[in-house]
Amino acid sequence: MELIGYSCSYIPVELLSLTGLKPYRLLHGDLQLSQKGERIVRVDACPLVKSNLGFVFENQKRFACIIGSTGCDMSRRMIEAIKFTTSIPVYIFNNPRTDNFEIFSNEIDMLIKELEHFFHRKFDKNLIHQESERIENIRQNLRQIDARRRTNPSLLSTATFQKIVISYLQGNFGDIKSEIPEEMSYKPRVYLLGSPVSYESGPIIELIEKRLRICGDFNCGLSRALYIKVVEKTIEGLKQAYFKQPPCIFKRPNKGLYEYVEKDLKETKSTGIIAFVLDYCDNFDFEIAKMEKRFSLPILKLKSDFSLQNISQLKVRIDAFIEVLASYRGGIV
Amino acid sequence: MKKVRELTPKKIGLNAWSNQFEKISVEIIKKYKYYNNNEWGIYLSPPATFMVYGARELKRLKFDNSFEALRMWGFVFNETERLFRARQINKKVIATMGDLGTVPVLVLSFPDCVPFYPECLWWTPFFKESTDLLDTASKLGLPEATCFSRAVASAFYKKSYFPKPDLIIASTGASCDDYSCVMQNVEDMGYDIMWIEIPYRKSLEFLLTRPKQQDLEKTKSGLVYIKKLEEYLVKEYHKIWQALFKLTGVNNPHRFLETIKKVNRLRSLVLEIKRMNSEADIAPLPALELMTIEFGNLYGYADFDEWVEIVQMIHDMVKKRVEKGIGVLKKDAIPIAWVTPSADPYLLNLVEDLGCRVVETEYVINQAMVQIEEDIEPFRALARSFINASLIGSTEERVKNIKEKIAKKLIKGVLITNMLGASHCSMETRIIEKLLDDVPVLSIDVPAPFGITQQIRTRLEAFVETIK
Repeated sequence: MELIGYSCSYIPVELLSLTGLKPYRLLHGDLQLSQKGERIVRVDACPLVKSNLGFVFENQKRFACIIGSTGCDMSRRMIEAIKFTTSIPVYIFNNPRTDNFEIFSNEIDMLIKELEHFFHRKFDKNLIHQESERIENIRQNLRQIDARRRTNPSLLSTATFQKIVISYLQGNFGDIKSEIPEEMSYKPRVYLLGSPVSYESGPIIELIEKRLRICGDFNCGLSRALYIKVVEKTIEGLKQAYFKQPPCIFKRPNKGLYEYVEKDLKETKSTGIIAFVLDYCDNFDFEIAKMEKRFSLPILKLKSDFSLQNISQLKVRIDAFIEVLASYRGGIV
Repeated sequence: MKKVRELTPKKIGLNAWSNQFEKISVEIIKKYKYYNNNEWGIYLSPPATFMVYGARELKRLKFDNSFEALRMWGFVFNETERLFRARQINKKVIATMGDLGTVPVLVLSFPDCVPFYPECLWWTPFFKESTDLLDTASKLGLPEATCFSRAVASAFYKKSYFPKPDLIIASTGASCDDYSCVMQNVEDMGYDIMWIEIPYRKSLEFLLTRPKQQDLEKTKSGLVYIKKLEEYLVKEYHKIWQALFKLTGVNNPHRFLETIKKVNRLRSLVLEIKRMNSEADIAPLPALELMTIEFGNLYGYADFDEWVEIVQMIHDMVKKRVEKGIGVLKKDAIPIAWVTPSADPYLLNLVEDLGCRVVETEYVINQAMVQIEEDIEPFRALARSFINASLIGSTEERVKNIKEKIAKKLIKGVLITNMLGASHCSMETRIIEKLLDDVPVLSIDVPAPFGITQQIRTRLEAFVETIK
C-alpha cells in the first residue's frame, strides 16, 4: 500500500504525507471508471464521484486508507460507498460550511490523533515543521509556474500546467520540475472555473487551448490547492492556511468565492469565462446564472459527464464563444 | 355531525366529502379556528374548497372520511392564509430552513413568533397540478434535474406564498446539497439569511480508530456520536436564541421549557398514532393522512397549539378504530416501508389502491420524532434530539429501523421515492437497496406533476405482485 487517498482541498496534505504515504487526491474523470462506480450509486450521481469510486474499486490494494470530507454531499457519501464496498479504512472529516473555525480546528486535531494512532507515528513539532516547509516549497514552485500562464502574454499553457499539477495532486512531489519550456500565446484569454477538472480531462483542456488560452482558474483540479499558503509551520499555521484558502463554492454564504474570482479575473486580464460543470454538480449548476450577472463577462458553460463523444460539437461551441468574445470587446479579443 | 362520526371508515373523494360536510352544523364549523380568532380564524371546509382555490390534485386524491381528517385538511391547506394573517396581526413570521424540526422549538419559545418551513412548498406543484413554480425555478437558472424543493426559490421570488419573513434561519452543512443551493439562491435574491451549521454525525465506522469512551455519546435510539457534535449544535442554538431575543426583546427561558413539553406532547401523540397504525390488524388511517401528520411535527403548520389539538383528536379517533377493529384498508393489505417522502402525494393513494399498507416510514425527519429530554439543560436537550437526524449520518443508520422490522417479518417490501439528481437520493438509493435485500425493494423517481404514467403504475403493480 502506497497511497493515502483524500477528496478535498481542505484536508491538509502535510498531515497525510507525514504518514509516509503518498497523499493521492481522488480526482478521476473517466467514463469507464464512472460506469464501474454505477455498481453502487445511481446514474444521476456526480460523474467525478462515480469515476473515483471506479478507480478505488480497481486499485483497492494501493490504498492504506482514504480521508474524505463533508465537502459536498455526494463527496461525503462517496466515502460511505467506499466503506460499504471495500475493506479500505476510511475517515470522514467534518468540513464546516459556515465560517466556523472552531469545528475546523477541532477536526484537524482529531484527524492528527487518528492518523498518529492508526499509523503508529507521532507528528511532533519538528516533523510538522519539516513537512510543512517541504510542501510549502513545492507549492511555491508551482505558484511560480502558475504565474507564467497568468502573465500577459501567457507563457505556459494550462494543458502543460495541469500535467505538472497532477504530480502534486497524486503525491509525486519529486516529479515536479521547475524547468518548463516556454509556450507563449496571444490567444484570447479565458478563465476556467467550475467542478473539479479531472486527471483525464487533458483532451478537453487541449481542445479549448487550440483556440483560447486558459490563463487562470478557480478549480480543484488545477491551481486551487496552490493558493493555500502556510506561513507558520505549525499545526496552528496549517489550520489557519487551510481554513482561509480561497473559499469553496459550497461555503455559506459563498460571497468569498465571488470576491476571489472577481479579483482573479482582473489580475489575469481574462476576457471570458469557461464554466466547466459536471452533470448533477448542484453547487455550480445552481450558480451559473448568478455568475453570468456578477462577473459581467461572456461565459461558456460546458456541461460534462466526462465522455468525449461530443467533441465536434464542443469545437463548434468554442468557435462560437470566440465570436462572442470578439463582439463583447468591440471585435478585439 | 353525529352521523359523520358514525360512518364506517373509508377513503372518499371530494364529492362525497362535500355531501358529508353539509351535515356538519354551523356551531361545529365555528368551533375550530386558528390563532384562536373567532372572526377570521375558521378553517373547517370541505376539501373541494381548496381544489377551487387551486389545489387541483385534490380531485384525484382520496381522503379518510372522518371529521378528524376533515379538520386536519382544512387546517393544513389554510396555511398560506394563516401566515399572511399572522403578519397582519403583528406576529413575527420566521422562516426556518434546512434543519427540519428543531429550530422551530426555539422560535416557538418566543411570544408571537410563528415558524414555518418554506421547503414544505415542494408539494405545491403537485397539489396545484401546475409546473409554474418549477418553471420559474428554471427561469431563475436552477437546474431541472434536482429536488423539487427548488420550488422554494420561486416562492421567495414570487412573494405570494408567504409574507416576507422577519427572520430567515437557514441550516446548512452535512445535509442535502440541493436545498443548501436553494437557500443560497434565496440569499442572492436579497433576503438576509442567518446561516447555521449542521455538523456531520460521524459514526465509528467512519473513523480510523476507536475513540475513547468518554468522547462518545449515544442517542436514545442507539446512534453513537462524538460528543463535540452536541457542543457545536448548542452554540448554534444559542446564536439563534440571541437573534430571536434581539427581534422580540423577550428572553424567557421558562417558556423554552414549556415549549419543549408541548413539542414532546405532539411527538408522543404522533409516535403513538404511527405505532397503532402499524400494529393494528386493519390500518386505521391512510398513508396520505399519516404522512401529513408526521410532517406536522416539524412546526405545527404555523399554529402549533391548534395543530396539537388536531393531532390529539386524530389520535383518539385512531385509538377507537383500533379498539373496534375497523380501518380504511383491507385486512390483507401488504405491509411495506416507505423511504424518502413522496413529493407527489397521489403516490401514497396509488400504492394503497394496489393493495399495500405503509407501516414504517423514513421520511428524513426522524429528528422531529424523538422526545426532547426534559431533565437536562434545554439547549443541550434540543441538540441531542437533532442528532437523530437521518441526513447527517450514514445510510446504514438511516434504515436501521426498517432493517429491524424486516428481520421481525413485519415488513414485506420497501418503496423508495427519489428525485432525479437530488444528491442524497443518487448516492444512497443503491446502498439502501443492498442493505434491505431481504425483501423486494422498488425505487422510483417521482416525476413532475402529471407525470405518473402507466409505466410507473405497472412497476408498482409488479412490485406488489412480487411481495404478495
